Parts: sequence; structure tokens; C-alpha cells
Amino acid sequence: MNGLCELSSYIGPMRLKNPVMPASGTFGYGEEYEDYVDLNRLGAVIVKTITLKPRIGSHPHRSTEVPSGLLANIGLQNVGIEGFIDEKLPYFDDIDTSLIVSIGGESIEEYVNLGKILNGHTRVDALELNISCPNVESGGIHFGVDPKVTRNLVTCVRDITEKALIVKLTPMVTDIRIFAEICQQCGADAVSLINGLPGMAIDVKARRSKLGRNTAGALVGPAIKPFALYLVRQVCETVDIPVFGIGGISSTEDAMEFLIAGASAVEIGTWNFINPKITMEIIDGIEAYLLENNLHSISEVIGTLS
Amino acid sequence: MMEYQVIENINISLSYHKLSLEIPPTAKLPLPGQFYTVRCGETKDPLLRRPFSMHRLIKRGEAVHLEILYRVVGKGTEWLSRCKVGEKLNAIGPLGNGFIFQEDVANVILVARGIGIAPLYGVAEAVLMRNQGARIFILMGARTKERVFYEEECRKIGRAFFYTDDGSKGFQGNGPQLLMHLMERKKLPQRFCMYACGPSHMLRDLADISEKFDLPGQVALEEHMGCGLGACLSCACPLRASYIRRDKHWEKPSLQWSEDRRQVYSLICKDGPVYDIQEVNWNEWVV
Ligand SMILES: Cc1cc2nc3c(=O)[nH]c(=O)nc-3n(C[C@H](O)[C@H](O)[C@H](O)COP(=O)(O)OP(=O)(O)OC[C@H]3O[C@@H](n4cnc5c(N)ncnc54)[C@H](O)[C@@H]3O)c2cc1C
Ligand SMILES: Cc1cc2nc3c(=O)[nH]c(=O)nc-3n(C[C@H](O)[C@H](O)[C@H](O)COP(=O)(O)O)c2cc1C
Ligand code: FES
Repeated sequence: MNGLCELSSYIGPMRLKNPVMPASGTFGYGEEYEDYVDLNRLGAVIVKTITLKPRIGSHPHRSTEVPSGLLANIGLQNVGIEGFIDEKLPYFDDIDTSLIVSIGGESIEEYVNLGKILNGHTRVDALELNISCPNVESGGIHFGVDPKVTRNLVTCVRDITEKALIVKLTPMVTDIRIFAEICQQCGADAVSLINGLPGMAIDVKARRSKLGRNTAGALVGPAIKPFALYLVRQVCETVDIPVFGIGGISSTEDAMEFLIAGASAVEIGTWNFINPKITMEIIDGIEAYLLENNLHSISEVIGTLS
Repeated sequence: MMEYQVIENINISLSYHKLSLEIPPTAKLPLPGQFYTVRCGETKDPLLRRPFSMHRLIKRGEAVHLEILYRVVGKGTEWLSRCKVGEKLNAIGPLGNGFIFQEDVANVILVARGIGIAPLYGVAEAVLMRNQGARIFILMGARTKERVFYEEECRKIGRAFFYTDDGSKGFQGNGPQLLMHLMERKKLPQRFCMYACGPSHMLRDLADISEKFDLPGQVALEEHMGCGLGACLSCACPLRASYIRRDKHWEKPSLQWSEDRRQVYSLICKDGPVYDIQEVNWNEWVV
């Protein structure tokens, strides 16, 4: 940023330098992209969802391409909170931008424990709750599809953390606005959406799932963008807390669509794979858009859909 | 991530093609076994980059050309086959780790099926560079005679044996069967190192031979990739915990162990695509 435009904002106590971040699970633990991205330039870094214990993840054949999209079933492979703190977190000592840790669990207790552990680490600025995780207590139904469970989860985590709290919503609900409102009522500082949609692909010759032993995966990438944009718009019309738009963003124009629809910031997922420099290009692109339109601040764009 | 100019893009036989790219002077040079991820098209379909191995490096005066040998199998490779000389391709690489060579390497057997020859050709060249007197044997095959390609080129780098499933050319059977056949008839040296690339069941059968006769071997694996950078965790491959090589040249930064430490996954794009043939948990890997 050359300082000509105001791109920064506050999400609770966390400052975002600019409204562009990588989405959880598509950017590893940050360091994987250091040859391509100056991490210091990002609005924030969001790392892969961390669980209490390390997870080995799904069987092989975890991803397959579909028209303009990707089906992925990674099964939350991650190094676990201890591994994260010992091996991944120190890397951020030399990185000058906010750090958002995505957390996931099988029980509300697990999320709370993760939050408490991270309280001991000031380098972590925010938590993003990945509520698209199976809840063991309700037989594997995702936390984020039951309003009562969502309320309970967000309340419990809010109780134990003063870090910025972002709740990442799943699109697999009848009315996503209800869930966004619950998050707002329970004290979340922001909501982010959307996580992937479930999907399948079948190899008709072998009559087998294209994801090997994994029958289904999450559909992500450009294919989901119109749907994601629609849900983001719905949520922006409903809540007052900041909304992070996610889903199929591949260019400045895509990012601007989400901002105009009302999102305060965007997360870039799949497109990091196609162009590892895309986050920086979109930051430059947003700034260029503001300059071209004689605007001084990103706030002059957000939610200006006529 | 760089732009590479297309120097040549020709059809060799059936669906097999050869692409030659000029490596920019500032770019790193690849080792045999390493790969590039190539953006195939400018649209969102095909979407992801396609991974391709380095086939050969050719020095022409000051310029260095990277050769990629590829088979057209779908949208991405179809697009690639239409690329014209002079056009630019966006590629990331070299990625992953190359094959490992003992300094005193003497006898080498390459086992390929179809396009699997792509990363192995460079192995022969690298071995001959280390030891001009090294003996190279190539076992190359396909379903039928028509599908066996690269015959002349294989003969150029060593003693070539061919196999086909239907026996229409050379030995009737598959690569591992041909290997056994040659070993039984003492057509091969007592000790050798094998390098292999091809379908996973072929590699598994070679692993059995390697174990039974205590022959060292290395394989180049393939898996669908998202990022190629170790970030998306798409390309996980199960390894055998007690066989993981940790000696020099075999670093594995991305191992993920299960909590009980009995299962372990490795990322092919980061730790591979080359593995010691005994490291891979073939029972889990081959469906
Ligand atoms: C490390 C590595 C090196 C490779 N080297 C070569 C090479 O030198 N020459 C060559 O011809 N092929 C090579 N392959 C396979 C090559 O990447 C695929 O054939 C190619 O991606 C197919 O793309 P497509 O769009 O034509 O096919 P589609 O079937 O339409 O592809 C659909 C999706 O599946 C993926 N995919 C399909 N087959 C494979 C495969 N076998 N491996 C990985 N991903 C696949 C594609 O990348 C794409 O995302 C290599 C693969 C890997 C992982
Ligand atoms: C390979 C892969 C892994 C992902 N892992 C996570 C994860 O661990 N936690 C999470 O909240 N979302 C995860 N996601 C979802 C993304 O963060 C994002 O919500 C989704 O990909 C939609 O954005 P996109 O269309 O820009 O990719 C993952 C997505 C992909 C492609
Ligand atoms: S392809 Fe993304 S981790 Fe290997």
C-alpha cells in the first residue's frame, strides 16, 4: 500500500491493514507461500483449521477438479494445537500483519480449550471458528447447521476470549441470516462466509467416486461465486457486524463485487492455487479502483450496491 | 512463477506429445524427478494448474530448454497440445525433489509404462553423467504395440526391452513380469538400482520384487494436486512408518502422523514425488 487510500479497518480489537486475506486451508500455515507473497502486505493471514490433537486427515485422492471448481475432502489434516504453537507460530514473529487462527473441534469443549490455549499467545489476533465440523455429541451433524448449537458454541468461546472472534458460516442451512444474527447476538466480532458446499463426482467407467474412498467433498472455487455473493448480500442486509466474503474470488473485480454487496473484507481460497500471488494483486487492484474512482477510503465502496 | 516461451510442441505418436520450453536465464534448473505446474489456458475451465515432470534439459548454446513429454488425456493436456511455438506458458517450478543417485552408480534399470518414461529419461542421462561406464536397462511397454512409443529414444540411452499386455510387441506381460523374466534368465546384472514410474499397481508389484530380492529402488508418484506447494494437503500419500528414509537427500518436511503414530501421510508435491520404493504403503495407496 502506498498510503494514498485508506484500506484498513478494525474487527473488534484486530486491525486489518487491508480487506484481503487468504482463506483457511488454502494457504497452509503461511510459510508455504513465502516465495510468492510478501505476507506483511496481507490484511491478515488465516491459517489452516487447527484441532486439539493432530489429525491425519482423509484417505488419499482428496481432490478432483469439476467445471470451474474443485471438490476437496482433506478431512481437517492438521498438526494439532501443540504442533502449531511449537512449529508454526514462531514463524509469525517476523511477520507484521494480523494472524487469525481457524479452530475446529468435535465438541464445544474442544473449541473452548483451543481458545483458552491460544489466550496464552499474544501473536494470535483473532479466532475464526470453523463450525463446518461434525459435532460428535449430535451424531456428527455439523455445529453450524443447528441454531441452538451455534448459539451455545459462540457464547462459550466468546466467554473465554478477548481476541477478535469471527464465525465462519456454512451455506448448508435453510436461512443463513438466522445464524449470522445469532453470532451477532452472542458477541462475535464478524462472520465470514461461505465455506464449501458438499458435492460429488463419479468416474462412470469405474463406477467409483472420483475422490477414492471419500464419497463426497466440498465444492469450492469460481463455480460457487454467485451463490456465495448472494448469501453475503443477505447476511450484510441482516447484521451490523463486519462480514467477510468468501467464495470463488479470482480477481479484483470479484473482490469488488463482494465489497459492494456489503462485505468489509474478502478471503481468497482456491485461486491461491492457480495464482499464488493473487492476494497481492487484488490488494493493488482495489487500491487502483479507489484511485480511478477518486475515492479515498475503502469504506466509500463497502455496501454501496444501488 | 514465470513465463516460459514455447520452442517446440509436437505430436510424437498417438496421444503423446513433446513440449520444449525456453528456461529464462534467472530461473532455477530442474533435476530429474522434479516437476512444474503449468497453467493450461486463461479461463476457469480447466481450472487448476497441471503437473508435468521434467523430461530432459537440453543446452543449445547459451539457452537451456526444458522438455516435457505429455499424453493428452483431458481438457488441460488437450489445451496444451494446441499451444503454438512462440507463445508463453505460465509455469511454477521446479517443484518437489528429484531422484537420488549414488556417486558410484553402475547398474540402473528403468521401468516405465507409457508416459511413465517422461521422468525416467533424465535419470539415464544423469547416471551416465556421473559414470560413463554405467549400464542402463530400460523396460518400456504399453497395452499394445501401437501404444509403445519412444522406442528409438529408449535404445539411445541403454539396452531397451519392450513389453505389451497382448504380446503384440516384445514380451507378453507387464513391466514387473518382464523384470522377473529377465532376472530369471540372468539377462540383468546381479545388483542394480531400479527407477520406476507408471500406474500404481505396477509400482506396487515392483516394490514386491525389490523387497524379495533386496534390490534398491525409487519411484515417482502421481496424485491430483491443488496447489503443488504443500498448502492444500490434497496430495497425501501413506508411507510405511518404519521405512521412512531420513538420511541425506531424503528430507520430508510435511509428514503428518496419526495420534498413535502408526499411520503417516506425506505430501507428494513437497516430500515427493520421488520416494524410496519401500517407503510407500502400497496396500493403502493402490485402490
Ligand atoms: C508430479 C507429477 C508429474 C507428472 N508428470 C507428467 C508428465 O511428465 N507427463 C504427463 O503426460 N503427465 C504427467 N503427470 C500427469 C498429468 O499431470 C495429468 O495427466 C494431467 O494433469 C491431466 O490433465 P487433463 O486436464 O488433461 O486431464 P483431466 O482428466 O481432465 O484432469 C482433471 C483433473 O485431474 C488431474 N489429473 C488427471 N490425471 C492426473 C494424473 N495422472 N496425475 C495428477 N493429476 C491428474 C488434472 O490435473 C486435473 O486437475 C504428472 C502428474 C504428477 C502429479
Ligand atoms: C483444499 C481446501 C482446504 C480447506 N480447508 C479449510 C479449513 O481447514 N477450514 C476452513 O474453514 N475452510 C477450509 N476450506 C474452505 C475455504 O476456506 C473457503 O471457504 C472455500 O474454499 C471457498 O472459497 P474459494 O471458492 O475461494 O476457494 C478449504 C478449502 C480448500 C479448497
Ligand atoms: S498439491 Fe497442495 S499440498 Fe500437494
